[in-house]
Amino acid sequence: MAKLSRMILSTRRSLLGAGLAAGMAGFALRTHLAQATPAVSAASQAGPKAAPGSGGIAVVMNSANASISIVDMASRQSIREVPVLREPHHWTLSPDGSELWVGDAGGNALFALDPTTGAPLGHRLLADPYQLWVSPDGSRLTVNALRLDHVDVYDAGTLKLVRRFHVASMPSHLTYAPDSSMVYSTLQGNDSLVAIDLMRNAIAWRVRVGPVPAGIIWHRDRLLVALMNGDGVAVVDPTDGRVIGHIPTGKGCHIIQLSPDRRLIFVGNRVAGTLDALDGNTLRPLARYTLTGGPDCIAFAPDGKLWISRRWRDSVAVLDPETGAFEVIPVGRSPHGVFLSPMLKLFADEGRAGLGFASV
Amino acid sequence: MIDPFSIDPFMALAGRLQGEIVIPLLYRLGWMQWEDVGLGWSLFAVYGFFQVLATWAVCMPLEAWRPVERWPNRRVVTTDMIYTLIARVGLLPLVTFVGFYQVQVWVNGFLVDHGWIPPDLELLIPPLIGHPVITFFLYAVILDFADYWRHRLSHIVPAWYSLHALHHAQRQMTFWSDDRNHLLDDLVSALWFGFIALLIGISPFQFPLLVLLLRFVESLSHANARVSFGWLGDRLLISPRFHRAHHGVLAAGQRSCNYGAVLPWWDMIFGTADFSRDFVPTGDPDASEALASGGYFAQQSAGVRSFAEVFTRARTEPADSSRAGIPG
Repeated sequence: MAKLSRMILSTRRSLLGAGLAAGMAGFALRTHLAQATPAVSAASQAGPKAAPGSGGIAVVMNSANASISIVDMASRQSIREVPVLREPHHWTLSPDGSELWVGDAGGNALFALDPTTGAPLGHRLLADPYQLWVSPDGSRLTVNALRLDHVDVYDAGTLKLVRRFHVASMPSHLTYAPDSSMVYSTLQGNDSLVAIDLMRNAIAWRVRVGPVPAGIIWHRDRLLVALMNGDGVAVVDPTDGRVIGHIPTGKGCHIIQLSPDRRLIFVGNRVAGTLDALDGNTLRPLARYTLTGGPDCIAFAPDGKLWISRRWRDSVAVLDPETGAFEVIPVGRSPHGVFLSPMLKLFADEGRAGLGFASV
Repeated sequence: MIDPFSIDPFMALAGRLQGEIVIPLLYRLGWMQWEDVGLGWSLFAVYGFFQVLATWAVCMPLEAWRPVERWPNRRVVTTDMIYTLIARVGLLPLVTFVGFYQVQVWVNGFLVDHGWIPPDLELLIPPLIGHPVITFFLYAVILDFADYWRHRLSHIVPAWYSLHALHHAQRQMTFWSDDRNHLLDDLVSALWFGFIALLIGISPFQFPLLVLLLRFVESLSHANARVSFGWLGDRLLISPRFHRAHHGVLAAGQRSCNYGAVLPWWDMIFGTADFSRDFVPTGDPDASEALASGGYFAQQSAGVRSFAEVFTRARTEPADSSRAGIPG
């Protein structure tokens, strides 16, 4: 636990001083709203407003509520609800980080928010955007359409579809190779992992990796894949999909995420109601936290705490990894993706690799 | 901050059901990929349970206070209770979720591949975004309109009515009778609303309390109670008096009246409203006794036989139009 504590302090230092990235220019979804049919002005979507405190905001996607909760991180209070269409699940930052894109899978729409305030900027039609992530080089947006069984690769600058891959079934989470040459999607419906070569726009391989794969990250030339019916994490060779190891964690292993300094890996176990901390170097377990209510997406705050959505408790848990204690912030129904505005500092400093989904 | 109509007092219970029963079961079966669908089903089951409870709490005293009819033997009502529990507390929605999942994947995928992303009502009328209650009421009106035509067609098409007759065969109609339907009739309804959902996009779980309210009106309209909402009220919302006329013995079959489920407006617009009848006896005189008073399985198999007979008759005899001529 002492080692874990030192690592947490290190993680905290890497996040301290986080501010809000400003002055970012370049691509913005709002510049493409003219193409959206029809577009909605920000004013028509905005709910009652309250100013966030200096600690930044948390943006929580309420997947069964058709809304996004904007939470003031300092006061732990929900200050605003941003309406969407049906089911907001996951998020990504636009290539230049000036917009937070939220996928509304059931509504077939991509919503853009100001990542510093949560103010809505508009939306456009996009088929079933369940899980989505922009490539490390900012050139591609990959969308896992879980309901429709395809992986869509878009030009992240224009949002034009480059190629659709029919990959039955149920593409869930995704990650990229650090050089943006490949994207890897877990296929929940048939226990597989598919690798798509983004240079050739072709499927490189598809391999069974274990029962019901969900969360995935690239970590030190390996893929780590959470297996929901496999009680742990599969270690996969990204060149051919070969499973070369297994790390037992807990029942319903679902989400896997790196700390910003890449020294810790957190794994959420949905059925067991636990969160495991692994050593980023050795992949050995360091600590286990009890967290019931369907722990799901994780975001890292500058104070070293973890913000974790709890799907069946309509809340976000703010977990102190040093003590295992957590605060509870009520949000909407079935909260899923969580974004914290201080993460913009990490994005500005380190690019997408700093956001916890892939290491180099 | 959160819209009051979207506050869900039962979500905590659904979360418990999901976390402590559904998810462990899915895990044990190796079906964790269905966890999100499982949450939808848990919500549906909890809402359904409270729907039944709330409907019972209101309708039971009403039926005891002002009954239209009194029956010494209520065995056939017990069968209707089974229909209600199957339909509202979870089995039917579970089968529907699982059964239609792949169908909707194919249909939606086909449409998206051909460049048509199904829009939502809010995309057609952008100011609706951020006004969920108004949006819901618009959806409710559209769905009620669609249901009027589904119901009317189910009386006009002979093969369809042979299934729908199960709903009309009940001579002891109570608030439990709302869900008394043949499974094939339910299947056609699911396809019908699936098609509408494709056109306008629907997510009932966003508005559980309002869905509960609408389903309550439908159940109440079947109650064995002398309840009318008055001259104006009967023209705004379907009352037990109005809907009972639809179930009257003279209105069974292919030419009926008062087809609406929640709003009487469609009957008024399309000339099928009849406000003149007062608490008539219910039932379908032409339906077999098995449809009227059999147990659950006897009714289901009688429905299938009746359905098959329509096609047999069509091959061997000229069309029998006698029932179509029954005055409304």
